[in-house]
Amino acid sequence: MTRYIVLEIRRTLRDGSFLIFGTGMPVMMYLLFTNIGGGGGVDGWKTASMVGIAAYGALSSAMSIGTGVASDKQLGWLEQLRVTPLAPSRAVVGRAISGSVTVLPTILTVLLAGGLVNGVRLDVWQWITLVLLLWIGALPFTLLGLGNGYRLTPQSTGVVNVACLMGFAIVGGLWFPLELLPGWLRSIGRFTPANRFADLGWATTEGHAPGTGTIAVLCGWLLLFGAYAVISYRRSARTV
Amino acid sequence: MVLTGAVKTFGRAGGVVRAVDGIDLSIGRGETVALLGRNGAGKSTTIRLLLGLDRPDSGTVRVLGRTAERAVLDGLVGAMLQDGRPIQRVTVRELIAFVASTYPRPMPVAEALALAGVSAYANRRIDKLSGGQTQRVRFAVALAGNPELIVLDEPTAALDVEARRTFWESMRAYARRGNTVLFSTHYLEEADENADRIVVVDRGRIVADGSGDAIRGSAGSSLVSFDLAGGPAEGLELLPGVIAVEVSGDRALLRTDDSDATVRELARLDAIRGLQVSRATLEDAFLALTAPAAAVPVPASETETVR
Repeated sequence: MTRYIVLEIRRTLRDGSFLIFGTGMPVMMYLLFTNIGGGGGVDGWKTASMVGIAAYGALSSAMSIGTGVASDKQLGWLEQLRVTPLAPSRAVVGRAISGSVTVLPTILTVLLAGGLVNGVRLDVWQWITLVLLLWIGALPFTLLGLGNGYRLTPQSTGVVNVACLMGFAIVGGLWFPLELLPGWLRSIGRFTPANRFADLGWATTEGHAPGTGTIAVLCGWLLLFGAYAVISYRRSARTV
Repeated sequence: MVLTGAVKTFGRAGGVVRAVDGIDLSIGRGETVALLGRNGAGKSTTIRLLLGLDRPDSGTVRVLGRTAERAVLDGLVGAMLQDGRPIQRVTVRELIAFVASTYPRPMPVAEALALAGVSAYANRRIDKLSGGQTQRVRFAVALAGNPELIVLDEPTAALDVEARRTFWESMRAYARRGNTVLFSTHYLEEADENADRIVVVDRGRIVADGSGDAIRGSAGSSLVSFDLAGGPAEGLELLPGVIAVEVSGDRALLRTDDSDATVRELARLDAIRGLQVSRATLEDAFLALTAPAAAVPVPASETETVR
């Protein structure tokens, strides 16, 4: 399985446009959001936005695995894998792991921009925890992307992924603080996966552990998206 | 015994199409077998059953004494599927090394590359190769794990003559190592030249099974044709050696397995006008065996497979 993970990581990292847009876009958004209109007026916005946008970037690259899987399906690669001794369950797990590794560059570049350009100051343990939590916390979205990829064509996976991404990012308060949203949406927002995901990071920058509520909600989403990925895979295995 | 397929029936969604309608086939270790049939005859479905990609509705599939899925997981099978396209951003060597690593006893990567004839472009990316080169890479994928059985679904489709020739050279080199090869094709010459045994599939059933010569013989080894000149066509099937009779216009075509006896009797009847005797080709036999209304009753000994 390790060889499979390495192969898939290689394929992703060689995709220049994926790397440039996948990591470049969030960094650009972050610098824009924090420096435009006399940015930094609100105390701690540079830090909060850094976490929000890093979460958004992680979410975006995690879900993009779906497009890869959908096109692998179309190329017949998934079927070719099924006639090698690599067990189907290992193929799925391996793909999820390789997908989550490619989330790292995005998180790292946004955090670097925060530290070097915007002068965000955190303790060393906070930086490390931040990277780890954002990395691990992206798993539900990797599974959501996988589910979409196994179920849909490459084109529709792309569209569905973008729709999910925008919805999650806005309702979850990754781009703008949740406080700017209407009250009813704000209360829903606190239960969306992206908001709780970013909350892992916000708790870290504020120097305390994330609440049990946050972890419980995230685990719920993890189970839901995991089930979705498994069901989609089973369905596709019949036709792929 | 490498592969024992019992009866396999398979119904597509809705149960309307029976792609494989009771195929009974067993293949011995070390054999090179061609699955010959028209497009849509059921070749690919048969292969998908053998690889465990589909399950039969009834009947069983056994490969090397276990289920097809198990045989694949145990690394005993390598396959080249019909419509696999190159994946992006991976070199030939990387792909072959990865596939080999999934098998318990792979052959050295360099050897697999050489055997499939892809060493020259091993470091190039697969998505940058030509169609013929891609096809050979897919062959390398099938043999990288050094499996006992390789299954090739229409391996030479879309290849030009030269690429086809070099492909079969590679395939025969692999078969000479004592491996079992099953390939499907709709090219008669390919089946005849590269397989020890040809299994003719038509509308989901096996209609003939044997060497190229045996299949030629099953539909009559010779063709005798002559002008009827207004004479009766009835009773011609009773002439010695005659297996089947076709009449088109004023000309009769007899399939016979003893042309001498047939001609002698025709001479006795004074029926020889514009006589022609020719050796039946595999194509004649194939057409006779798979014609929509098969005129030739196939001898039972040819349809039944040795178990």
